[in-house]
Amino acid sequence: MDTKDQHGRTRSSSAARAATAALSPKRRRPRLLLAAAAAAAFTLTAGLATPLNPAPQQAEAKDDGKKTLTVAVAQSVDSLSPFLAQRLLSTSIHRLTYEYLTNYDAKDNHAIPAFAEKWEPSADKLTWTYTIRSNSTWSDGKKATAEDAAWTFNKIMSKEGTASANSNFVTNFKKVTAPSPTKLVIELKKPQSTMAALDVPIVPKHVWEKVDDISKFNNDKDFPVVGNGPFILDDFKVDQYVKLKANKDFWRGSPKFDELVFKTYKDQDAAVAALKKGEVSFVAGQPALTPAQANGLKGESDIKVNEGPGRRFFALATNPGARTLDGKKFGDGHPALLDKRVRQALFLSVDRKTIVDKVFQGNAVEGAGYIPPRFSEYTWKPSPDQELGYDPKRAAKLLDEAGYEKKGGKRVGKDGKPLDFRILCHATDPNDKAVGKYLKEWWGDLGIGLKVNCLDDVSVPWYAGEYDLAFDGWSVNPDPDFVLGIHTCAALPEKAKESAATDNFICDKKFDELYDKQLAEYDPAKRAALVKQMQSWLYDSGYMNVMAYPNAVEAYRTDQIKSITTMPSAAGNIFGQDGYWSWWSAVPASGKSSSDGGSSTGVIIGIAVAAVVLAGGGVLIALRRRSTAEDRE
Amino acid sequence: MTTETASSLPAPQEPEKTGAPREAKSPRALAWTRRRHSAARFWREYRTHRAGLVGLVALVLIALAAVFAPLLVGADAQSVTQAPGEAMQSPSGEFPLGTDQFGRDLLALLVWGARISLTVGLLAAFLSVAIGTVVGITAGHFRGWYATVIMRVTDWFLVMPTLVLAIALASVMDRSVWTVILAIGVTTWPTTARLVRAQTLAVESRPYIERAQALGGGHGHIMARHVLPNVMPLVLAQTTLVISSAILTEATLAFLGLGDPTVVSWGGLLQDAREAGAVSAGDWWYLAPPGIAIAVVALAFTLCGRAVESVLNPRLGVSR
Amino acid sequence: MTGGERNPAAILAAEAEATTAASGGPAEQAGPRGRGPRAGNTTAYLQYVAGKLGGALVSMFAVLVTSFFLFRLIPGDPVKQMTGGRRVSSEQLAAMRTEFGLDQPVWKQFTDYCGNVLTGDFGTSYQFHTPVMDKITEALGPTLWLTGTAYVLYTLIGIWLGTRTAWRNGRLGDRFHTGLALTLYSVPSFWLGLLLIITFSVGVGPLPGMFPTGGMESGDESGIGYVVDVAHHMVLPVVTLVAVGYAQTLLVMRSSLLDEMGSDYLTTARAKGLRDDLVRRRHAVPNALLPTVTLMFVNLGTVVAGAILVETVFSWPGLGGLFYQALSVPDLPLVQGLFFVFATAVILMNTVADVIYPLLDPRVGR
Repeated sequence: MDTKDQHGRTRSSSAARAATAALSPKRRRPRLLLAAAAAAAFTLTAGLATPLNPAPQQAEAKDDGKKTLTVAVAQSVDSLSPFLAQRLLSTSIHRLTYEYLTNYDAKDNHAIPAFAEKWEPSADKLTWTYTIRSNSTWSDGKKATAEDAAWTFNKIMSKEGTASANSNFVTNFKKVTAPSPTKLVIELKKPQSTMAALDVPIVPKHVWEKVDDISKFNNDKDFPVVGNGPFILDDFKVDQYVKLKANKDFWRGSPKFDELVFKTYKDQDAAVAALKKGEVSFVAGQPALTPAQANGLKGESDIKVNEGPGRRFFALATNPGARTLDGKKFGDGHPALLDKRVRQALFLSVDRKTIVDKVFQGNAVEGAGYIPPRFSEYTWKPSPDQELGYDPKRAAKLLDEAGYEKKGGKRVGKDGKPLDFRILCHATDPNDKAVGKYLKEWWGDLGIGLKVNCLDDVSVPWYAGEYDLAFDGWSVNPDPDFVLGIHTCAALPEKAKESAATDNFICDKKFDELYDKQLAEYDPAKRAALVKQMQSWLYDSGYMNVMAYPNAVEAYRTDQIKSITTMPSAAGNIFGQDGYWSWWSAVPASGKSSSDGGSSTGVIIGIAVAAVVLAGGGVLIALRRRSTAEDRE
Repeated sequence: MTTETASSLPAPQEPEKTGAPREAKSPRALAWTRRRHSAARFWREYRTHRAGLVGLVALVLIALAAVFAPLLVGADAQSVTQAPGEAMQSPSGEFPLGTDQFGRDLLALLVWGARISLTVGLLAAFLSVAIGTVVGITAGHFRGWYATVIMRVTDWFLVMPTLVLAIALASVMDRSVWTVILAIGVTTWPTTARLVRAQTLAVESRPYIERAQALGGGHGHIMARHVLPNVMPLVLAQTTLVISSAILTEATLAFLGLGDPTVVSWGGLLQDAREAGAVSAGDWWYLAPPGIAIAVVALAFTLCGRAVESVLNPRLGVSR
Repeated sequence: MTGGERNPAAILAAEAEATTAASGGPAEQAGPRGRGPRAGNTTAYLQYVAGKLGGALVSMFAVLVTSFFLFRLIPGDPVKQMTGGRRVSSEQLAAMRTEFGLDQPVWKQFTDYCGNVLTGDFGTSYQFHTPVMDKITEALGPTLWLTGTAYVLYTLIGIWLGTRTAWRNGRLGDRFHTGLALTLYSVPSFWLGLLLIITFSVGVGPLPGMFPTGGMESGDESGIGYVVDVAHHMVLPVVTLVAVGYAQTLLVMRSSLLDEMGSDYLTTARAKGLRDDLVRRRHAVPNALLPTVTLMFVNLGTVVAGAILVETVFSWPGLGGLFYQALSVPDLPLVQGLFFVFATAVILMNTVADVIYPLLDPRVGR
């Protein structure tokens, strides 16, 4: 830092001096010049000297052939502690730096060994035993054992403020122990079929037990951070970048790139431009590149736009009447929506094809069942006679039947009140806003009024049950338990308006029965059949109208990345995979890596800096000189 | 930065000296004649400010376009289901400014957007100036602890970072046009309040106010009949200038996603453009026009405001 | 005033003040702002300073109260934000509430908050699990670099051009510069930023993208390279801020100088046979600088909060971006802390302006 400061100052003042010398006319008195030069120098120093960035840069030579893969991300890291992190970027980094008990196969998402080599339930289905691999070592040389895993799970179950992340995995745990270094035993309260899908990063006990207050420890002070994943967390600067280096001793084999950098671009356009210029190798999009961006990139050489099936569904949720666990009603959902015919009429008047064509411009798949087709094992489609396609006439008929006649262009109920709905939308999601515009017109044609209510944080009206309809969407995991569980009665809040696991207050006996059955069903095929039945019920209910499955649209530079594994490997996505396959498998293209961009633009940088000097000091001097010259005449 | 312009404004007119009562007229008629005369004088002066005229003409044109938008570009220009074009078409004969991501004609949207941008700008400015005027006049009239307290509050509002406060307010409330108006109005009034208070102090130091008081004029009478007419020119100038900043703030809030997403405004168009990825795709035809429109209107109001100011206060040296 | 916080009305007010202050107008007696003690009495001055400091403290307390209660109106359940909607056992939720003091009555939370603020503790961010003070100091640096550089540049440019245009009042150059400044002043800063990105970062036609599209550094430079790298990243945001920001200084400088130029003493100086240039530099400019200096200080206060938009557009890792991010969660402790910092900066700088004004004004004897 000292040296850097030194450099900065020396350089800036000499540059300023040069500028002064070049521009100073002989007859000028020095006072103003000095002022201008001082100003320029100050400006430059301000820009150059950087006591604010005390983190010393590694002083290693840049052209040592290090292969760097730079990924542009829009999110900033909320925390690097696996106990606190919630954002996709942070959890993706944990997937890369810590081992989980299991991983998912890149081909078809089935659970495969990772930190655990194998796992099996007891006969009563209540005890699971994991065999921990013995060839995984922490980056500080210590062996990673079952003891670490047991410690991690117990920490999450404790009340030390460690519940921020991952707590949903342990709610059903009774006890976690490690009888031997290679054996982890988890005892459950109830049978749970998701035990091969515990997405919890296992941390090294010997490092973490020294932490005083885990609820405030962000794991971002001592680099490199001790881990055992394919990459090691090496450096981090808030809102700027996260650097990972390859773990050469990773048991599955070392990654091909030496360094992986996640660089923050808050603005997606900036990220796309950076890709075009080669500043970064990969752009993920948040959550996807827009059609305009994708089209713009398709024309570029050396850039590949990758479209894969997404993990998310984009749906319209209907408020079925909010209530608590013990059946107390609250909220102010529209009573008309309690009528299945009205819900189905709304369903029938949404043209999903237009939404895919116009809003997503083809970068999405038309919605049907609840679970996206990417998860082929569980996905479901309605039969032709069950299907509620776009049919405004049938919708109108259903509404007439339900007693909402059209009078003067407006549907009016028996109580004489016009049928007006409110829809909750996320102000930060352009798709919500866009689809809202279409819904307003489609339903307006039917005679239904719609008020689109966009908020940054929809959770308050949502949990208070104060909405009629809402844009809804979840990122689905390879194991569908979570997204199904949020529609069960058990997920309802204990007290009115309190936050709870429920998605939109659905509570139905039949659905719950199926849910309990699938959770206790350890046979994959039978479980999948049950999951499909649940989706069929959900579809008919009209509570969840899945309009589309947005594709993941991302792009990378083929002159920097030669090949990369998508997930599913046939045609899948790259960023935010359920495993670490993409970055672990990425092969550098010969010769180039993204860091080269920096040095090759050195000349331009120099010119730019000179321009700043000129702008800051020189222009003023020149102006000054010219004006006095005129005055002298 | 605010302090009093009062002292440098022309002396408030005293009723006795102006007007030309050649024939016996009712006081009301007299007052109207006087006002008509000063309006005419004002216009003569204003006409000599070329920049002010340019601004005025620009405003009139834009206002006409906004009012007659349904006739000019059709009432269904905002409809997404009846959008005439393909998504993101570049400018052509059919769509002079291209289309947005829904295939709607951008020129038509620009014209429609003028309505919201102007409405919000005007209403927010009126709200702001109204609050400022009431606060300023009462603070100037009542003095004492009331004035101390209320000026303290004004000072305190003055140090609040306006944009930060407006963003905070806008995120506390629902996304709607009214929220934006309120957020702008409530955060920008202190400047006006200070100016008006100073002018009020100057007016109230005139002898005729004392006379009115002696004749039994109550507080309300004095403030409404004597002070208000005399601060009106200042308020007018102030309004023009506040509109300009209100329009910029509206665009800013819309751009930050705090506007009502269901209505088309210029700031909203810019946000749409950004969300659609127009920047990296290099679609300047989507991005440039709304910004230019905002700048033109803001500039036009500023030019008018400066012209008005300099008519009222020739010492300012704002020459054309 | 930079970024979106521009208020043409304020320009005129400042211009107006320029004239009154520069000519020693009656505003000095009438101004509630109080232009300070007239007589060269040290005790009076100290009393005046004490009064201003007291006022600043009261304002800061008011800001604290506002920031605490205003943002409580933002709907949102803090614990919900902390867990990101995951299923959490109610015991664990209760533990989190206790930890953040959310189980206390509001007045207790407020008194605790005030006590903590006195010790420089603004609480812990909900989303980053870090002390708010740490987040703010982290982001303060980049913001100060960016806006500070822009501030110095636009103040200098404003003063120079203001002087120049006033001196050549009414001529083509004056009209051009005043018009240009007013036009740039009317342009939304975020829009200008986006256009600059399209033109100079993405590149248009034959023009290659010369500047980075955002951020503060590439992250792979060290030493001198790092320094150049940061400067390179700063060019476009600084240009944006300067372009929309210099008009105010220009106009104030211009109008106060114009006013000064009509003064008798300048005529006298000219009559003595001094060169125009000298008259301007020795007599007119120093006097006309006064109101500009006042404006500079007031603007210095807004520098901290001034670049919310530009920071957003250019992904600059500063306070503005942090504020916007915190507000959309909403991360109450962070929002409150930032709001307090923004407002306090303005209060402090206003106070400094008030305190040094009597020292600077040559008409106020010492």
